[in-house]
Amino acid sequence: MNAPIKLPSGRIDRRTFLALTGAAAMAGGEAKAQKRGGTLRLSAQSNPSSLDPQTGNSGSDHVILYPLYDSLVEWDYTTLQAKPGLAEKWAYPDPSTLVLTIRDGVTFHDGTKLDGAAVRYNLMRAMSHERSNIKSDLGTVAEITASGQTVTLKLKQPDSALPLILSDRAGMMSSPKAMEEHGRDYDRRAVGTGAMKLVSWADNERVVMVKNDSYWKKDRPLQDGMVFQIIPELPTGLRSVTAGQNDLVYYLVPQQKQLIDRARTLGSAVGPSLLCVQAYFNYGRAPLDNVKVRQALNYAVDREEFNKATHGGIAETTSTILPRAHWACATEYSGTFTYDPDRARKLLAEGGHPNGIDILGVGYAEQLQVQQQEVLIEQMRKAGIRLRWERYTGPPTPAAFFAEKKGDILLAPWTGRPDPSLTYQLVFGTGSYFNAGRGEGAPGLTEALLATRASDDLTVRKEAFRKLQKIVTENALHLPLLFRPELTAYSAKVKGYKPNLLGKPKFEDVWLEG
Amino acid sequence: MRALRAWLGGNSAAVLALFFLVALFTLALMAPLIAPYVPTAQNLGNTLAEPSWQHWMGTDDLGRDVLSRLIHGAPASLFASLLAVGVATAIGVPVGLLAGFLGGWVDDAISRVIDTLLSFPGIVLAIGVTGALGIGLTNAMLAVGIVFAPGLARLMRAQTLVVKQELYVDASRCFGASLSRILLKHVMPNAVQPVIVQVTLLLAVALLAEASLSFLGLGVQPPQPSWGGMLARAYNYMELAPEQMYAPGIAILLTALAFNTLGEALRQALDPTRRRR
Amino acid sequence: MLANAPRLMLVGRRLVQFVPVIVLATFVVFGLLKLVPGDLAATLAGEYATEERIAQIRESYGLNDPFLVQYGRWLWNAMQLDLSRSFQSNEPVLEQIMHRFPTTMLLVVGALLVSLVVGVPLGILAATNAGSRLDVAVTSLSSFGVALPNFWLAMILVATFSLSWGWFPATGAVRFGADPAGAIWHAVLPSIALAAGGIAEVVRQLRSALIEILSSQYVRTLYAKGLSPSAILWKHGLKNVAVTLLTVIGLLASRLLGGAVVIEAVFAIPGMGSMVVRAAIVKDFPVVQGVVFTMVILVIAINLMIDLLYTIVDPRVALK
Repeated sequence: MNAPIKLPSGRIDRRTFLALTGAAAMAGGEAKAQKRGGTLRLSAQSNPSSLDPQTGNSGSDHVILYPLYDSLVEWDYTTLQAKPGLAEKWAYPDPSTLVLTIRDGVTFHDGTKLDGAAVRYNLMRAMSHERSNIKSDLGTVAEITASGQTVTLKLKQPDSALPLILSDRAGMMSSPKAMEEHGRDYDRRAVGTGAMKLVSWADNERVVMVKNDSYWKKDRPLQDGMVFQIIPELPTGLRSVTAGQNDLVYYLVPQQKQLIDRARTLGSAVGPSLLCVQAYFNYGRAPLDNVKVRQALNYAVDREEFNKATHGGIAETTSTILPRAHWACATEYSGTFTYDPDRARKLLAEGGHPNGIDILGVGYAEQLQVQQQEVLIEQMRKAGIRLRWERYTGPPTPAAFFAEKKGDILLAPWTGRPDPSLTYQLVFGTGSYFNAGRGEGAPGLTEALLATRASDDLTVRKEAFRKLQKIVTENALHLPLLFRPELTAYSAKVKGYKPNLLGKPKFEDVWLEG
Repeated sequence: MRALRAWLGGNSAAVLALFFLVALFTLALMAPLIAPYVPTAQNLGNTLAEPSWQHWMGTDDLGRDVLSRLIHGAPASLFASLLAVGVATAIGVPVGLLAGFLGGWVDDAISRVIDTLLSFPGIVLAIGVTGALGIGLTNAMLAVGIVFAPGLARLMRAQTLVVKQELYVDASRCFGASLSRILLKHVMPNAVQPVIVQVTLLLAVALLAEASLSFLGLGVQPPQPSWGGMLARAYNYMELAPEQMYAPGIAILLTALAFNTLGEALRQALDPTRRRR
Repeated sequence: MLANAPRLMLVGRRLVQFVPVIVLATFVVFGLLKLVPGDLAATLAGEYATEERIAQIRESYGLNDPFLVQYGRWLWNAMQLDLSRSFQSNEPVLEQIMHRFPTTMLLVVGALLVSLVVGVPLGILAATNAGSRLDVAVTSLSSFGVALPNFWLAMILVATFSLSWGWFPATGAVRFGADPAGAIWHAVLPSIALAAGGIAEVVRQLRSALIEILSSQYVRTLYAKGLSPSAILWKHGLKNVAVTLLTVIGLLASRLLGGAVVIEAVFAIPGMGSMVVRAAIVKDFPVVQGVVFTMVILVIAINLMIDLLYTIVDPRVALK
C-alpha cells in the first residue's frame, strides 16, 4: 500500500487554502518557463541552532535544512498529506509494524550510498544519541531492522503519526560516514542528500550552499547556489530585499504587507501556516489551575481587534491550535471563544476573583512581540485582568517559563509539527516540557492523546482529534489567538515561489529570471 | 537672574540650558496634568495618524498620542540619568577617595581594577550586565552606573592625591583626627569640585546610554513610554511613518545638550585659574 | 630607532601588565554570567527540550561543576589559545571572532577616519579664529555632535540615503577580504553615524589644545618676531597637535568600539558588538569571554601603540 494516509479530498477546505495562496495558482501557470542558474540570496531571521537535524532545537531551522537534506517522507504543499520522499513507499503490514522501501540510486554529498543500513543508522542515532533532541519523536519505535533497501520498524504500540514524523527532523538523512567522522563537529558539517551542498556557515552571519550536481530529483536544483543571510530584525530584512542586497525574505509579519505592496518592485506570497500565536498557561499552580480563570482570559481577548492591530487583519483568528483548513481540525471549536469582557468578569468572580486578578506574563523583548503584549494589556484590563509582562531576549524567554517556571502565561508562537498528534502531545501532554505545570491538564487527556495515533484510518483519527480538542477547549488549557500567515517577499527576478500549509518555506521550485 | 548668570560665568547658553532643564523637570513631575491623553490609551482605529488638532504630533502604531507619550517619557529618562549617575557617584567617589588617601597596596589594587574596567567599552559591559540582571530600566541603569563608576573613582583618586599634600590635612592628622573625619571634613570638600562637573556631564552620557538601551529593548519596558523605546518602534515603521522618529530624537538631543552646556559652564565657573574661552 | 631599550622596556611592562588585567576581566565577566539566575541548559535545549535532555546538557557541558573549576578550565584552555566553542552553535569562538573582527574594525577605523578628516580642519579653523562667528558656529555644532544619539542619526541616514535616495545599502556588511569596495560602500553610513560624537570630540580637544599653544608666551614671542600666524601654526602648533590627537584617538577607539554595538543593531551588521550582546543574553560564556579577551587585548595594544608614538612624535616625553 503506497502512502496509507489518504485524505478524502472533499474534507479539505481547498477554497480557504487557495484564497490565502493566490500566488500558488499563479506559480503553476509559469512553471513552463523555469530557468536554471543564479544564486538565491535569502534573508533569514535566525541563526540555525545546528545543521545536524537531530541536534537542532529551533523550528526555524527547517527552512535552512530543507535544501541540504531530503526526508524519508515529504508532504503535499496544500494538504500536508504524506507523500514519498527518500522512501518511495511505505506500509503497515500490521498496526505495530511499519515497512519503508528506500529509493535506489541516491547518494549523499560525500558520495556514500543511501541504503537501508544508512537509514537504520540515522533512526537509531535519533533514538539514542546523547545529543539528540528528537528522541521523543521516535518514542514508539521498539526495534529497527534493515536489509538492502528495506527498513522495518517494530513499534511498541500502533502509531499512525510516524510517516509524517519522518517528514520532519527524524526523517532527514545524514551520511553515517560523515557523522562518525566529524562527531560533535557534524553540527556544522551537514552531509545530506539534498539539492544543495553546504559550503560554509558563519554564526549569525550567513549560511552558504552550492548546488548538488548529482541530485536525484529530475530537473532540480534550479539554482546554482543559495545564501541565507541572517538578519534578526524583520524590518531590516525586508529593507535588504527592497534595496537589492537579497532576493527573498520569509517569515515576515503581516504589517509588512502594506510596505511590500507599496514598493512596486517586490512580489509577495501570503500562505497559511500552522504557526499559532498563543499564550501558554501554567495550569500547574494558582491562579491558572482554576478553569474559570483560564476561560476568563480566553473571553477577555478580542481576537479580531488583536488581528487588526498586530497582524494587519490578514491572519486567521482561532480558539484551537489547528487552522480550519487542516484535516484534523475540529472546526466546531475554532470560534468558541468570542470577545465578551462581561462574561470574563463573571467567570473571574465565580473563580473567586471578584475584584479582578493579577497575571504575570513572560514575553520576548522584540518590538513586534512587545506590540502584541501591549494590545493584550489593554484588552484584558477591560475585563478586570491586570496583565504585566516580564521580558527576555531570544531563547531564554521560553526557558524562563517552561524550565524556571516564571510567570503565569507565556506569549510565544507554536511553530507546529507535520503530524497534529505531536502538536497536542508536546503542548498539552503530561510531563511534556511545553506543559509548564507538567501535570495532566484535564482528566482523560492522556487517553484521548493516545487514541489519535492508534489507527491509520483518517476518519477514525479525525474523530479522535475532535474528542481531544473538546477536552482542550472545555478546560481552556491555553489562549490561542491566531495563525500567523507565512508572508514572503521577493524581488522581481524571483519566480515560482509557492507557500505551503506547514508554513516553513521550501525553495526547490524557485528560479531566478535574468 | 543676573546673579544666576554671574554664577554661571556670564554664560547665557548655560542659563538657557538651566531653564530648559528646570522646565523639563517640571514637565516630568506634572506629566499626568499636562499631557492631553493617557499615554497608554490605545485607539486601534487611528494608528500612525499624521499631526492634527486632536493629536499635535500624530499617533503611534497602536493609536496612542505621540505628544502624551513624549511628555510621559521625560520622567523615565530623567530618573534613569539620575539613577545611573547616583550609582556611579555612590561607588566611584568613596572608592577613589580611599585609594587616593590610603595609597600603598590598597591604591595599587583599586587602580588595577579601575584600569581593567576602563579597558572595555562601557556600553558593551552595560548590555552584558543588563542581559544578566534581567531586562528593565532599573537594572539597565544600575549597569550604566557601574560602568561609570571607575571613571569617577579615577578622577576622585587624582584629586585626593593633590589635596592630601595640603597643609591642613597634615595638621588635622597631627591633631589625631579620625580617618573618617579627615576624609569627610577636609579631603572630600576640597577634592570634589571637578567631580561635580564630571557628574553633570555624565548625566548627558547616561541619558544617551538609557536611550540606547531602551532602543535595544533592554531599558524602559513598554507600555511605559520612553524616548528610546519610541525610537525603536518608529524604526519599525520608518517607511510608513518617518515623522515618528523626529520628536523623541530631538527630545534626547536637547536634554543631553542642556546637561553638557551646564556641565561646561560649571567647569569654567568652578575653575578660577582657567580663562574663559 | 624603534627598537631602542626604553621602548622595549615599555612593551615588556605592558605585556606583564596584561596578564592580571585579562585574568581579572574574564573572571569578573565569568562570575557575572554565572551568578545570575537563568538556566543555560534549558536555553540550549530550545524547542525540543525535555527534562532528561536538559539534565544531560548540564552534565555534558560541565555545568554541574563548581564555579572555579569551570573558570579554571576556560582559563587553562585560553592560555593555550583555545577559546573553546560556542555553547549555542558549537562554532569555535576564535573562528567566530576572526570572522567578525574585521567587520567591526572597518566600522571603527572608518569612524575614526571620518572624525579626524572632518574634525581636524574644523578644530584648526576654530582655534585660529577663536572668538569669531565661525568659532562660535563650529563650537556649537560640536556641542550638538556630543549630544546626538548616534542610533538616531543612523536612522535618519538610513531613511534619507538608503530608503529615499538609494545611494547606500540600508543593511548588512560585506567582508573586506572578499570585496574591499563593497565593504567600504556598506560601511559608509554606519561609520558616519558612529563618527558624529568623534568629530565633536576631536574639534573640542584640538581647539582647546591649539588655543593654549597659540596663546603661550613662546608663540607670542615668535609672533612679535614677525612670523605669520600660519607659519607659527605649521612649525610649532602641529607637533603639539599630534600629541593631542594621539590622546583623542586612544580615547575614541574604546568609545567607538562600544558605540558600534548599537550601530550594528540598526544596520544589522554581523560584527563583534551584536555577537557579544547575543551571547551575553543567552549566557553563552565561551563567546562572551572570547570577546572580552579580544577587546582587552585590543585596547591594551592601542594604548601601547599610542605610547610608542608619543615617544616618536615628541622625544621629550620621558620613557618612565
